[in-house]
Amino acid sequence: MSNVMEHDLAVDGRRDSDITKNLYLAFVVDDEQYAVEVSSIKEIIGVVPITIVPQTENYLKGIINLRGDIIPVIDVRSRFRKPEIPYDTETCIVVVLFEDYILGLIVDRIIGVYELSADMVAAPPNAKLSYSNQFVKNIGRKEDGVLLLLDLEKILFV
Amino acid sequence: MADFDRESMLEMFSYEMNQLVDQLEQIIIESESGFSMDIINEVFRIMHTIKGSAAMMLFDSIATATHAAEDLFFYLREENPTNINYSELTDYVLECMDFIKEELVKIEQGVPVDGDPQLVADHINGFLSRLKGEGDSVSSGAIAPVAASAVSDKAPVPAASGDRPFASRQYRAKVHFDEGAEMENIRAFTVVNNLKPYVVGIVTEPADLTNEETIPSIRRDGFTMSFSTNSEYGQVFDLLNRSVYVRDIFLEEYVKESIQMEGLNSFEIFLRFDEGAQMENVRAYTVINGLKPYADFMLHHPADLLGENAAEDVQKDGVYIDLVTSKSYDEVYDQLMQTIYLKELSMVDKYAAESPAQVVSIAEEVPVAMSNETIAIAQTNDAAATPANLSQNPVVPADNGDGAVDGGVAKRSTGQAVISVNVSRLDQLLKLMGELVIVETMVTQNPDLQGLTLENFNREVRQLKKIIKDVQEAVMAMRLVSLSGTFFKMNRIVRDMCKALNKEAVLEIIGENTEVDKNIIEHIGDPIMHIVRNSLDHGLESPEQRRAAGKPEKGRVILEARNAGSEVWIIIEDDGAGLNRDKILAKARNNGLLTKAENEYTDREIFQFIFMPGFSTNEVVTSYSGRGVGMDVVNKNLEFVGGSVVVDSVPGEGSVFTMKIPLTLAIIEGMIISVAGAKYTVPIVSIRDSFRPIPEDLFMDPNGNEMITVRGDHYNVVRLHEFFGLDCEPRDVTEGIMMIIENGDDAICLFVDDLIGEQQVVVKSIPKFIKKIRGISGCTLLGNGEISLILDVAGFFDR
Repeated sequence: MSNVMEHDLAVDGRRDSDITKNLYLAFVVDDEQYAVEVSSIKEIIGVVPITIVPQTENYLKGIINLRGDIIPVIDVRSRFRKPEIPYDTETCIVVVLFEDYILGLIVDRIIGVYELSADMVAAPPNAKLSYSNQFVKNIGRKEDGVLLLLDLEKILFV
Repeated sequence: MADFDRESMLEMFSYEMNQLVDQLEQIIIESESGFSMDIINEVFRIMHTIKGSAAMMLFDSIATATHAAEDLFFYLREENPTNINYSELTDYVLECMDFIKEELVKIEQGVPVDGDPQLVADHINGFLSRLKGEGDSVSSGAIAPVAASAVSDKAPVPAASGDRPFASRQYRAKVHFDEGAEMENIRAFTVVNNLKPYVVGIVTEPADLTNEETIPSIRRDGFTMSFSTNSEYGQVFDLLNRSVYVRDIFLEEYVKESIQMEGLNSFEIFLRFDEGAQMENVRAYTVINGLKPYADFMLHHPADLLGENAAEDVQKDGVYIDLVTSKSYDEVYDQLMQTIYLKELSMVDKYAAESPAQVVSIAEEVPVAMSNETIAIAQTNDAAATPANLSQNPVVPADNGDGAVDGGVAKRSTGQAVISVNVSRLDQLLKLMGELVIVETMVTQNPDLQGLTLENFNREVRQLKKIIKDVQEAVMAMRLVSLSGTFFKMNRIVRDMCKALNKEAVLEIIGENTEVDKNIIEHIGDPIMHIVRNSLDHGLESPEQRRAAGKPEKGRVILEARNAGSEVWIIIEDDGAGLNRDKILAKARNNGLLTKAENEYTDREIFQFIFMPGFSTNEVVTSYSGRGVGMDVVNKNLEFVGGSVVVDSVPGEGSVFTMKIPLTLAIIEGMIISVAGAKYTVPIVSIRDSFRPIPEDLFMDPNGNEMITVRGDHYNVVRLHEFFGLDCEPRDVTEGIMMIIENGDDAICLFVDDLIGEQQVVVKSIPKFIKKIRGISGCTLLGNGEISLILDVAGFFDR
């Protein structure tokens, strides 16, 4: 876990579209491996106290204080309608930047950063067999399996 | 001058102009019934400042329009006529203001400032001359411009009429500027610009005033102008003296006596070149340059020989030269004859009356004689010249830097020493202030200090808290803007509309000193305006109708602002006909806007329809309303700042529009409460009382609404955890706290788990990803970094 964080911070430190191009941050949600482009990630933090905001969707867990900025957090498990589990030391909040929204995504654990060239990324099959499939934009191949590349826009706004 | 930043100067300029225009408009409207001498002086000063600044920035249209107005007020000030139609005067001045405003908008938008001031100037000048005509026929104030035709029209062939492009009097002036005036070339340019409407053929030395390299020489030696005009010496002197920073003026008129006394000759010369000579303007320029060394005074027409159409003009109409020189007739004549491609030359010695006019025609042209008398162009203007003006300013120095002084006076009279600060800096300051308040709490309530006896520390903490609070109040105050500016603008709207609609109305303004945040004020100006317009157009009846209804003929519109808890209410009340409930309902039905049975609609709900886009019950579209926009803007703008509007109306008695606008002060006094393990913040201003309830005071109404009796008053009870649907064990009432919270005149009882403490909190907005939640207005960070949601008290009331 800790070595992964360091690696990511290094990436964050030299944010540059050329450097981060084709880089994906992979994480686990309910035993499935997902990934988002590193270029859209602001930072990764451990779980911090979350303030509940009443009368919002269930998956919107509330808001957190990120060094003075107030950021809404979405539980990806809940968003994918998977059973929720208690947060533990492995649970992370991936802070992403989409258009001018900043949001936290709560994921089970981080795996690491992968470089996927264009030929390693393919469109998903058309048939949407499970609810969470609709959030998958593409499917990436790596040595030991596949990464489901998430469509942030769908996660945030569908 | 090198790093002369026009952009920032423009920003400053438009800021100042807007202020002056607003100030002026205010003064004018207030004094429509009559102008006191103080007001006239004030208006004159402001006009003068506007004109000076505009001319300085080379916005001629503004300068010209204001100039006319300035003349008018100059006359009023000097002559103090008694026969003024103030209403008419106000109209013209406002017209001028509107023109300036339009031009200012253009400047702000960066589009060419191309308005034509002529209409405005003509109106004002017309009014002025009527004023003079009706008054003392001898006195007349301003200098009438030289008939424009003499200047701009293509001069006719000289011989035919003997018409010349020059006016009757010839002047030479030398102007020095004050030390430290800076940008002397621009100032000189301004002087020339001021002069232009009244003179013909102005020639300056140095010639190109836009060139910054002329600054040292102008600073050292002044600059020289030659021109002709029909205006008298005193008037010309006055004109020159009006420019700011002028130190010395040397003005010389070439009259017959002085010319002859000094042994000079004055010639009028006309030249024309062969057809096909090409570059006639450059040829003329060469001729004139050749004469320059001997010329004491020289004018030529066209004045700008190097301009765009000069070649064509010279080819068609020739060149006129007015020359005063020590050389004899023959010497000049010989020199001119050497010009190549010369087709026609005529030369007249103006003051050698006995000598016959000599005309030479080099080509086959019929020789033409020029009259050797000076023909006064637009002589009538000259006759109108005033002795009052002549006696005005025989000597210079007294009026040094008069513009600068004027500017100062105008600013002082607003009663404020104001600087303009970029709003983003204020925002930054506010953000830092917020951080400071949080850190203060973190330090002073640090867990490490728990249980320690810290007498000295606590004393210093109190001091620190006090100072931080003072600083914070100062920061907040900086952002607050009084509504008075926005309110007083409505005077103008009421006045204009009354005139246009033939109605009579007074606008009463109450509470205009109420302050709201700068960000909010920008969004409420338009809503107020639209509602006031609506009241005048639809609300107030015509005087006849009012008389028939037994009301005073003069309608009344009240514009009031007042603080109500964490909101500011702006109330616009009229005593007109009121809203027609049935008509609005019918219209809503036609537009398919009804969502429930008609009889279920309350009056307020029905009146809300008037804020729908495209909703107008007015069949006739007037210049003010009827298109169904406007009221729509009210809603849109108010939603943007989180405000709302309600309408109450009684047929025949009038309507009341109440706009409720949140103060959204970025730092508020808050009471931290806990509910279901979470901490919420209630604005202290909304809390009337808090107490531990006795179960006997609680009761239910038939609909199952919980209520409580407190000292004989009954309140609805809102259990916060129920309201928010929070997941927790229900508490017994005896374990919780009741808070009476109020919103305007209403109050409810809020049931919470516990009170934690009072604290200043920095309001942060809920991230926009989360849509508006009823009952929550924002959030804040507590000392330990925890987030607390701030309750929107108003949200508990409108259910």
